[in-house]
Amino acid sequence: MTSDDARDPRRTFCKVCLGGMGLCSAAAVGYPVVAFLGFPRRLSGDKPVEVPLAELLPGQAQYVSAQGKTVAVLTVGGEPVVLNVSCTHLGCTVIWDTADHVFRCPCHGAIFDAEGQVVSGPVSQPLKTVPFTVEDDVLIVS
Amino acid sequence: MRKLAANAWNWLDERFHVQQELEVNVTKKQVPRTLSWAGCFGGLALLTFIVQLFTGTLLLMYYKPTPDAAWDSVMFIKSNVPMGWLVQRIHAVAANVMIALVLMHMARVAYFKIYRKPRELHWVSGVCLLALTLGLAFSGYLLPWTQLSYWGAMVGTEIPGGVPFIGQAIVLWLRRGESITGETLGFFFSMHVWILPATIIAFMGMHFVMIRRTGISRPL
Repeated sequence: MTSDDARDPRRTFCKVCLGGMGLCSAAAVGYPVVAFLGFPRRLSGDKPVEVPLAELLPGQAQYVSAQGKTVAVLTVGGEPVVLNVSCTHLGCTVIWDTADHVFRCPCHGAIFDAEGQVVSGPVSQPLKTVPFTVEDDVLIVS
Repeated sequence: MRKLAANAWNWLDERFHVQQELEVNVTKKQVPRTLSWAGCFGGLALLTFIVQLFTGTLLLMYYKPTPDAAWDSVMFIKSNVPMGWLVQRIHAVAANVMIALVLMHMARVAYFKIYRKPRELHWVSGVCLLALTLGLAFSGYLLPWTQLSYWGAMVGTEIPGGVPFIGQAIVLWLRRGESITGETLGFFFSMHVWILPATIIAFMGMHFVMIRRTGISRPL
């Protein structure tokens, strides 16, 4: 503080206020930045998803969330299959057609069979299969 | 503590004359008394650009420029990274604000005829800066790899097709092929994070050096 400030308390008041606002602004900018540099929250889906085989009806697909991704669980000829339902074209969620036993993409009309192989549409890659295990007649996607 | 800071400052000042430079260029710099608030638009556009550099650098830590991972990585930033939603939103909103400020700055310069001699090249470099700003916005729009950004890039890259003779070649060059693919994403990504920012900084440098040279325009 200079002698000018001592004679003029209003100037000191302004300086303190400006400094305070500066500190608040710095905190408002600094907090999100420091927080951003911290560790991201991992998905809660680390817990495995369990589907009892008895619940898998022929000709139907169950949609469940595993690891933050939506997967379809279904049986093909009695064998369980787990597919990532994100379309390999542009990532839309494909929809199971119970009547025709195919997956249809609502975005650009791609069609995949029950095993995820391409039937038609603007795609070349099959749906991605998701690894799973079967223990005591319960299918586990981990 | 205060004495230590003062000593450090003096040490620096003795060697680089920082105090004097600051006084001449910032704290005691005279601007015309009649200059209105509208004279701030250019500086504010620079401020938003700095915000974009800053938030963009943060987003770069998690963003993955591949068709498989782009959308997931943006969602990861928005939902899992602490304050990621805020940083991502600021980056997206400040892009729009930057374009608005650049246009307001340009409108003022046009209205008050500030582009006339001796400031013709300020205007030319300014138009280049506008084009670069729009290029940054357009290339950034594709990066989240959503339906909206995909079709936005599709329509946007079609526009140069109207240029006679070389239009189709430009479209192919921009898309890196017939349609928007992972290669387009990679190309737009490199444009967005390095090539265009580096170019815009070079043009900004010229713009600022020139305005310091001629001085800010006095109102008519």
